[in-house]
Amino acid sequence: MAIEKQYIKANTIEDAISEAANNSGNFVFLAGGTDIFPNKFQENNLSDCLIDISNIDELKSINHSDDFLVIGALTTLDELRKNDFIIQNFPTLIEAAISVGTPVIRKSATLGGNLLCENRCHFYNQSAWWREAAGHCLKCGGDICLANGGKKYCYSKFVSDTAIALISLNAKIEIASKTKTEIIPIEEIYSGDGINHLKLDETSIIKSIQIPLNKTVKSVYMKLRHRKSMEFSSLTTSVTLFKDEKIKIVLGAIAPNPIIIEGKKGDNYQDIIDIASKKSKIVVNDNYSRAYRKNMIHVFLNRCFVELQLIEN
Amino acid sequence: MKQICLIVNNKHYDILVDEHELLSTVIREKIGLSGTKIGCEQGSCGACTVLLNNKSVLSCITPVMSCDGAEITTIEALAENGHLHKLQQKFVERGAIQCGFCTPGMVMTAISLVPTLDKNESPEKLREQIKEGISGNLCRCTGYKKIIDAVIDYTLDKPISEISKSNNSVSQLKTVGKPRPYIEAEKKAKGEAEFADDISFKNALHCKFLRSIYPHAIIEEIDLRAAKKLPGVRYIATGKELPITFGVLPISQDENAIAINKVRYVGEIVAAVAADTEEIAAEACKLIQVKYKPIKAFLTIDESLNDAGDNEKIHDYGKFNNNIHKKAELRFGDQQQGLKEADISYKMDFDFEGINHGFTEPHASIAFWDENGLTIHTATQVPHYLHRALAKVMEVPLSRVRVIKPYIGGGFGGKSDPFAHEIIVAHLARKTGKTVKVRLTREEVFLTNHGRHPTKMTIKMGFSKDGYIQVLDADVAIDGGAYGSFGVVTTYYNGVLLQAPYKLSNFGFRTYRVYTNKPQCGAMRGHGAVNTRFAVESIIDDLSYKVKIDPCELRMKNFLDSNTITVGQYRITSNGSRESLQKVMELSDWENRFGKLEKGHGLGVACGFFISGSALPIIWNELPQSVVHLKLDFDGRVLVTSGASDIGQGSDTMLAIIVAEVLGINMENIFVLGADTLLTPVDFGSYSSRVTFMAGNAAKDAAENLRKELIESISKQKQVDKLDFYFENDRIFTNDKSVDLSWLEAVEILTAKRGAVSVSGKYISPKLGGDFKGAGAGLSPSYSFGACVTEVKVDIETGQVDVVNIWGAHDCGKAINPLAVEGQLEGSWHMGMGQAVSEQMKYYKGMLLNNNFLDYKIPTSLDTPDINSSIIETFDPEGPFGAKEAGEGAIHPVIPAIANAVYNAVGVRITKLPISSEDILNKISENELFNNKIIQ
Repeated sequence: MAIEKQYIKANTIEDAISEAANNSGNFVFLAGGTDIFPNKFQENNLSDCLIDISNIDELKSINHSDDFLVIGALTTLDELRKNDFIIQNFPTLIEAAISVGTPVIRKSATLGGNLLCENRCHFYNQSAWWREAAGHCLKCGGDICLANGGKKYCYSKFVSDTAIALISLNAKIEIASKTKTEIIPIEEIYSGDGINHLKLDETSIIKSIQIPLNKTVKSVYMKLRHRKSMEFSSLTTSVTLFKDEKIKIVLGAIAPNPIIIEGKKGDNYQDIIDIASKKSKIVVNDNYSRAYRKNMIHVFLNRCFVELQLIEN
Repeated sequence: MKQICLIVNNKHYDILVDEHELLSTVIREKIGLSGTKIGCEQGSCGACTVLLNNKSVLSCITPVMSCDGAEITTIEALAENGHLHKLQQKFVERGAIQCGFCTPGMVMTAISLVPTLDKNESPEKLREQIKEGISGNLCRCTGYKKIIDAVIDYTLDKPISEISKSNNSVSQLKTVGKPRPYIEAEKKAKGEAEFADDISFKNALHCKFLRSIYPHAIIEEIDLRAAKKLPGVRYIATGKELPITFGVLPISQDENAIAINKVRYVGEIVAAVAADTEEIAAEACKLIQVKYKPIKAFLTIDESLNDAGDNEKIHDYGKFNNNIHKKAELRFGDQQQGLKEADISYKMDFDFEGINHGFTEPHASIAFWDENGLTIHTATQVPHYLHRALAKVMEVPLSRVRVIKPYIGGGFGGKSDPFAHEIIVAHLARKTGKTVKVRLTREEVFLTNHGRHPTKMTIKMGFSKDGYIQVLDADVAIDGGAYGSFGVVTTYYNGVLLQAPYKLSNFGFRTYRVYTNKPQCGAMRGHGAVNTRFAVESIIDDLSYKVKIDPCELRMKNFLDSNTITVGQYRITSNGSRESLQKVMELSDWENRFGKLEKGHGLGVACGFFISGSALPIIWNELPQSVVHLKLDFDGRVLVTSGASDIGQGSDTMLAIIVAEVLGINMENIFVLGADTLLTPVDFGSYSSRVTFMAGNAAKDAAENLRKELIESISKQKQVDKLDFYFENDRIFTNDKSVDLSWLEAVEILTAKRGAVSVSGKYISPKLGGDFKGAGAGLSPSYSFGACVTEVKVDIETGQVDVVNIWGAHDCGKAINPLAVEGQLEGSWHMGMGQAVSEQMKYYKGMLLNNNFLDYKIPTSLDTPDINSSIIETFDPEGPFGAKEAGEGAIHPVIPAIANAVYNAVGVRITKLPISSEDILNKISENELFNNKIIQ
């Protein structure tokens, strides 16, 4: 007999965490639902319990102090676009946000949700029937990667676009769990394992995203995709030049986690690009070939450096 | 189950819902508001958009529990007291509605978008913002242009305008030639038009299919025991129960509704469950155990051309020891000799991926049996062939089958075969004695396919040094997938439809269609001729650079004339090739811009032509191609009944316009009843761009017959000579005014002592064509012609192609309804652009990888340039009021025009579709033309 499906509305963070603990292993937090529901439709997400956190008001504000901009995790991608402070200070976050999905999706999709967006692969994002026909891949419980034939690693791609922009800005994430609240760099929540791409405790909740203020000279953002709307990324790059002349280069959609390279003004940029290319773990899991996406790492980073006036065109 | 409260369109509902149920299902099925559509189930088409507390959401990915206590607004709420909302009015007036399936979602998106727009922005910026705002809503019919126009008009509060753009040069026409919205446009705007999945019957059972997970395998055993035990399961059918084969062509009756003994593609139906709910049926499918024994799968054209081993043939029939389904060959002249003698000769290879129609409405059918036999409501383009197929497989007389076509959410060829799911629901309904309903998921729609064939070809052409075509030889192989479908026709069309629009005296082709273990291919907009057209237009383009003759001039030199016969004996009557090309040259400022753009920026041109209906029926018989009945009763209303299938192209409106024109009456006196095989006379259906020409002619014939009847009765009653009657402005009169009657007075005379009058009209194609085997392929009473110029920008570092402009002109003879014709043209060019730059069906070991609207890349509004369309009128001598087709021909030129523009921009000749950024990039670097920028 199938387990009764449940929907629980949590009104506080504490509620959410305790409901999560009660349903451990069989629940998913629901914010905008735009990633969860296609995954449920395809039976990649089989959680019997949905814990709806979208009512928790304390996760919805956008504030700033002298040092940080603090964005509540439930802020929708569309709301980011409308915030003048963000428009002025972090235009690349907005570029990243509006490069996600479609306008109507962005009205529901939250920033926190986008940071946790499930990794993708065209052998994984398929119906249950399809995955059975193909022979299950590593990410859906099988013992072989259909993209490269390997048996050890899943190379599903990391597709959160906002994460790339935020990590490049040295943003941090505030996470509440049963025992504590901690603030850590965003990159630390990603495991690098394509099967379980998050290192978070399953019951913990993202409260906010905190971006340091007045640290950057300029940041740039670019996304490779086939169409101009309705696309997950095939390569996302964001590069930030900081006032202390450090440079943070972040790349998405070329590995199961964001690829991060830290440099400084005056470095050999060609070397940085080569390192990025070497660090990438691209398999053929979307519309483009591996060679092309690798090639585009060079083109995109080069363009980023040009736009930051670090190198000449 | 939980009880929640929803306030839907200001009405309070307390309803029980499953805790993971989606808002879309509750709105459609529990509340019964079917205006909200489901096109993809995964949030990637926008058809299900509704407002949740005034914010637009995708109801197919919104859990209904999260809406407890919320206000939901659906399309049904917009019209007040029967009056359309102004935005809906603008959609209607602008022709932004074709099939109407995306309309409710599009309107709801626009409703929430408009308040965020700045009216004071420049028109260009406003357009961009609207394009961005609707970029999550896919439309396959319109190319978005008219939708954006409607939203702009509404945003700027433009008054509802009178019919404006009349390009009517035959001034005596009152109704024909005036742009007008479809007669059903308001209903579609309101979300009230019922599509197949919107039709509800009490206590209907739901059907789900178990589909093969192997591309090619023997079915050794099917164990239904566990599935049958599931409560709510009413019947499970397997292949043996439906042993009779079917197919759209009499020569390819090779399909069983449910696989018997073996499966031929991943996705083929192996068992069908009828159950109380869709969920139970789906659950039961999972409980069915099937034992397969895989056999060698043939997945590519090359594999299928090779000899097959014992029991490896996909189908047993066929003369060859391989998987070739059909070979076609015709030769006029000696091509080898011709190529030797040519001044310049070409031999080029081309390679095309398969593509899918991508109509927004998934297939759905609902069937029941009663004292009249079988009735099925189904999303079909051709009720007549389905009627025949059902009678055959169900083994009942033709008189016991009734096929009813509801509103159809686009077809483009993809709803023109009789389908397994239609036969299965008919069968299950008979077995259970209940109404049985099925709707396919988007993934299943892709598996059902019948789309454009993947194609490989080698084209040889020879030219004189001054640019005349001397010889053309095409060698084409097409990948048909697992079954025949329209494939034999496709095989011929890939060859024969090269014999225009250019003069050819030495022409030959050989085409193969192979079976492969993939979903079957069939007819899709521009059927059979799109890919070979691309090749020929690419070679002509290439030649223009070689001989340094402008590519437009080169085409002008080679065009066929009007009133001529082609090498394969096609009778060309009207021919607007020259006018079309001239028009797009003017509009694109070709002479001043071609060859003068910077690196990476290019213009390209191409031409094309297509049939206006096949002159030969698919099933050989003596029936007219189309019959239209008119019934006139005491109330003055003319009921037009026609088997022609309006699938969103506006054919019902076309019939009404023609009848209104002939009878000189207002459109409001006309009522069209279409496509119900019990009530409407036979029309062969909506394929091969035949409806305006053939059903239009039948309607005209019927209206003329009614006119004769009126004249006769009036003459008799008034005792006047029969001559000189005029039918205009709802009056019938003679010049001398001895007769001057209102329409109703005339009707009273006709119906006196007789009652309602019924008349019939028909269309029978004239005998055409040569006296050789294969001469019938591509014969049509008339042909359409056209041209496109496109402008592209190619990012020379990424290879990405941005189509920034499309100018198209199409000779449709005479536009019966210019608004509808523009809509067909814009939709064709948009769809062609998709095939050119982004669409393909990608397979992994016979499994379709991109079986959803996220990964199958139909261009969004942001990817689509503003299309500039021109209607060219040449007044075909046999078309109704001079009209010929406009639905398919336009797609031919746009695809090569884009590729030719890429060549002009970066010097890379495109020989594979879709155009790949990667290929462009690889070729740019080694490209001298590009590096030296000597591209004209």
